[in-house]
Amino acid sequence: MSCCCALSTQEKILQDKAAGKENPNRAKHQRLFDILETFDGMAPIIDADRALLFTRSMKETEGQPLNLRWAKALMNIARNIPVHIDDRQLLAGRCGTTGRYGILYPELDGDFMADALDSLAEAKTAAPISVSPEVAAIVRNEITPYWKGKTFHEDLNRSLPPEVHRLAYNDELGIKTRFVVSENASYRSSQQWVLDYAKVIDRGFASIKAEAEEKLAALDPLSPMDTLKKRPFLEAVIITCDAIVLWAHRHADLARSMAETEKDPVRRQELLDIAERCLRVPEFPARNFREAVQAQWFAQMFSRLEQRTGTIISNGRMDQYFYRLYKQDVEAGVLTDDDVLELLDCMWVGMAQFTDISLSPGGLATQEGYAHWEAVTIGGQTRDGKDATNELSYLILKSRQASPMPYPDLATRIHSRSPQRFLWEIAETIKVGQGYPKLFNDEEIIPLHLAKGAPLGDIFDYTASGCAEIRMPNRDTMTSSCGQVNLGAALEMVLRNGRMKKYGDEIIGLETGDPRSFSGWEEFWQAYLKQQEHLLAASYVEQCVIHHTRARHFAGPLASCLHDLCMASCMDLHTDEKIPGGIDLGFVDIIGFATLVDSLSAVKKCVYEDKSVTMDELIRALDDDFEGHEALRLRLTRAPRFGNNDMYADSIGLAVDRTAQEYCHKYAPETGLHIDIRTVSVTANVPHGKEVGALPCGRKAWMPFSDGSSPAQGADLNGPTQSIISNYNTKNWDYNERAARLLNIKFSPKCLEGDSGTEKLVSFIRVFCDLKLWHLQFNVINRETLLAAQEDPKRYRNLIIRIAGYSAYFTELSRDLQNDLISRTEQTSI
Amino acid sequence: MYADAMEKGVVFNVQKYSVHDGPGIRTIVFLKGCPLRCRWCSNPESQHIAPDIAWNDTLCIGCRSCVQACPQKALSLSAQGIAKKHELCTGCRSCVRACPADAMFLYGGESRVKDILDDVEKDSLFYARSGGGLTLSGGEPMFQPRFALALLREAKERHIHRAMESCAFCSEETFLEAAGLLNYLLVDIKTLDEEKHRHFTGQSNSCILSNIRAAHRAFPDLPIHVRTPVIPGVNDTEKDIAAIAAFAREAGAQAYELLAYHKMGQSKYRFLGKEYPMGDAALDEKNFKSLQALAASVMPVSPAMPS
Repeated sequence: MSCCCALSTQEKILQDKAAGKENPNRAKHQRLFDILETFDGMAPIIDADRALLFTRSMKETEGQPLNLRWAKALMNIARNIPVHIDDRQLLAGRCGTTGRYGILYPELDGDFMADALDSLAEAKTAAPISVSPEVAAIVRNEITPYWKGKTFHEDLNRSLPPEVHRLAYNDELGIKTRFVVSENASYRSSQQWVLDYAKVIDRGFASIKAEAEEKLAALDPLSPMDTLKKRPFLEAVIITCDAIVLWAHRHADLARSMAETEKDPVRRQELLDIAERCLRVPEFPARNFREAVQAQWFAQMFSRLEQRTGTIISNGRMDQYFYRLYKQDVEAGVLTDDDVLELLDCMWVGMAQFTDISLSPGGLATQEGYAHWEAVTIGGQTRDGKDATNELSYLILKSRQASPMPYPDLATRIHSRSPQRFLWEIAETIKVGQGYPKLFNDEEIIPLHLAKGAPLGDIFDYTASGCAEIRMPNRDTMTSSCGQVNLGAALEMVLRNGRMKKYGDEIIGLETGDPRSFSGWEEFWQAYLKQQEHLLAASYVEQCVIHHTRARHFAGPLASCLHDLCMASCMDLHTDEKIPGGIDLGFVDIIGFATLVDSLSAVKKCVYEDKSVTMDELIRALDDDFEGHEALRLRLTRAPRFGNNDMYADSIGLAVDRTAQEYCHKYAPETGLHIDIRTVSVTANVPHGKEVGALPCGRKAWMPFSDGSSPAQGADLNGPTQSIISNYNTKNWDYNERAARLLNIKFSPKCLEGDSGTEKLVSFIRVFCDLKLWHLQFNVINRETLLAAQEDPKRYRNLIIRIAGYSAYFTELSRDLQNDLISRTEQTSI
Repeated sequence: MYADAMEKGVVFNVQKYSVHDGPGIRTIVFLKGCPLRCRWCSNPESQHIAPDIAWNDTLCIGCRSCVQACPQKALSLSAQGIAKKHELCTGCRSCVRACPADAMFLYGGESRVKDILDDVEKDSLFYARSGGGLTLSGGEPMFQPRFALALLREAKERHIHRAMESCAFCSEETFLEAAGLLNYLLVDIKTLDEEKHRHFTGQSNSCILSNIRAAHRAFPDLPIHVRTPVIPGVNDTEKDIAAIAAFAREAGAQAYELLAYHKMGQSKYRFLGKEYPMGDAALDEKNFKSLQALAASVMPVSPAMPS
């Protein structure tokens, strides 16, 4: 390396590793590294136990209320699923077999699960899975036959009107996604969600069970609704509380019997301590920090057995709900910061072993690289609006700085009074180069949600959830997964009069006329708006059908019993009825925002203002995918582009965002739902791009769109400051139909070098806060490293990179996504 | 002042999010034209005050639009790419306008103080949060004294923090007038050896050294940050560096920093159709590190930040 280059910490460690040097963090995190080595680089093993036990129970309970059936299925799982405790682990509780593993949810995809597993096991993908013949046989012989005709996606497939179905699927069965107005709901039973872990730690399930029993005793026996709705809900809660406690006690038994044969006295004592904790929590309130961690761990693991939550159940505000017992133990002298780091490591390494397996093609494409991001939230404000940063916030940051794994994702809440030390440690963690933490901005999120109707205390206490979203765990009630609208397709349908290059003569959008005959920009823009509204309307229909269909297929007695409002009303969180006091924060995604804005800008500038290109020439060039039209393509890329603080492009972006929100403002009320506009693509910018031919911004056919609300790949040439100001410019501050906006920035390690680099990154984060942007995250890496990792994936197996709201191993991503990441602008400075 | 805002000069680049040239997050405005001809110059496009037409071979798509557009018939497509008869070029920019690929492009253009500072001001939030602001660089900003001083006066009017990166080769009067408008001065000293200085830069260093002394005498509170580009075969010896460090300390500078020779300007020589004067010269990294240690033993690398 010449002295002009700098490496991120991660790059340095990878370089040292290749030279045979030990990871410098190992000494302090021995247990983490020891456990990590047992599964590092392993293809996840599919474990069918949860699916089998769930199916067997559901077979026996047909005809009963759904939430009661779900609780009984959970009980069957708790009673019979094999339990394991890993060597060296201090925490008990996993959802499946040892090593790196994934579990199955036949209620989602049971009807085609056997075939999907066969093809996934054979597929040569960057992220392979391992399916044993025994598991394949169980799925084919016992699971799939029961679920045929009963799954959610089959019901959804039957229920969607044909004109919407056509935009969502390429096949009659509704398995192969058409990424025009795609849906996310059929491969997860819930949108991202966060449990109220404080309740688990501070009350325990015995107390929740007692509350349900009290309510059950107080029901009016003459009330038909009490009998039909409330009673099954409460019975389901009681069974579920018993189930999780039984499951914990089975771990206690296992730990005790392992201790009996354990020769190493230190490990024997650890096992006896585990046994003691498993007998205490999560049944009763945790008495110390160690019990609190075990209680949280059981709750999140059991919730994974309950349902497939989008991106996996998030961890909530860990530095808040653990703090009281942390402080108590530290003051009593029974807990050191090193003990805390070790317990956190045990959690992280447990999360890293669980992978979120998608069987449907849509799920595979939109969440690449075994994507799961059980976000841990730190920082922010307390319920009464004071800064909430504490010693645990710093310990969690420190722990994630040293950990060579993408899991869990780390979210930091920033506000105008966030301590400088907090921002400094965040900047230092960003500089490690593993893509976390992501930043959430209280100065945007809190006022916006007040406008959406949140109570002050609840929104001060919000937590990051999933990718860039937030939750108020006792106030939110909407868990339907969002649809995704392809903005590039809307534009292509203007240029092709309702058709798309990929689908030939099929009329997919509206026939807005031959654009060659348009009189000017205004007519073009109006035609675009019609296409956009048409797709938004389809996504609204899709969301409504999804929302009402889900209630017939899913229940979540665990998630519900931890929610104040569900307990108060005796309603399951999956209900499609309005839960009294609840706020629903639903949304649809718009995909390809910057690609669209740049394309509209190029049409406006080149065709209608400068008249340097005719519409006919443009359409012919797009038809030819710019082959033989390179000069024209380059002229188009010179039009003003989003991400440069240029109001020519940014005002178009502002209008696109506003018109989308205006649609929501007009039509959401009649649906009875909130369906706002989110600008978070996850990895959907890749499959959505694959649907659409060449576009006027100069993007070639089938290439990825821009991601989230980030500038298009290579379009932001005026540096990171202009890039984030453009994001500010395109927000409609007077509309509250806006939702999360994800923004990625890639820095070269050189421009963040040293303390002065850290200091400038801190200032940059302060400005992000001042600008009231929702979210920001960073990749700090040299382009050369990514190219080298493509060449030699084995050597770079541990290279972690930021994707879209989560980090993943670079070499486990598809080539398309890898190339997308490489092509994003790297911000340097001279 | 209106007159300052309307003043025009030649600028060849505006660089946002600059983090290596002065405190905080800064915007660098590069003024064109330089009195020195340092052999290692990494900004060859900055040397002449007149705009330079350049050709980027990697962007060129070979469409010949520029050849056809040139009214002087100064351009032709040869086996080596676009060839230019420099003597025929009038700088009319027809070729630049015709090129669809940005391969034919212009280094430098005339700008007004107002427009430059409007652009600089777009990042005022970043300056406020980081203690950053405007840095004038070049070329040599003092090569366009009227324009540079107007930029500094107008930036002061707008309460933008002002730094200047200079070689200090100009009249004392101009230099002191600029210094009076600055919050921070970055100044380059290549070598104290006058003969060597003349040989490698084309000019004597005597007014450079006296200007630095004069600036400190006149404005003792102005932080002066001396830098030396360490160039193989020119000044990469302990003797050179120790002498400059001693001078910097004695002249009242607050910091002394060594910059490693790099070849990042090489492609720009190619675009301009010029030979790269340094050839394959490379800096010995180990030697550079020990020179850095030597410099650091005399003075800090960056000024102590006001707390």
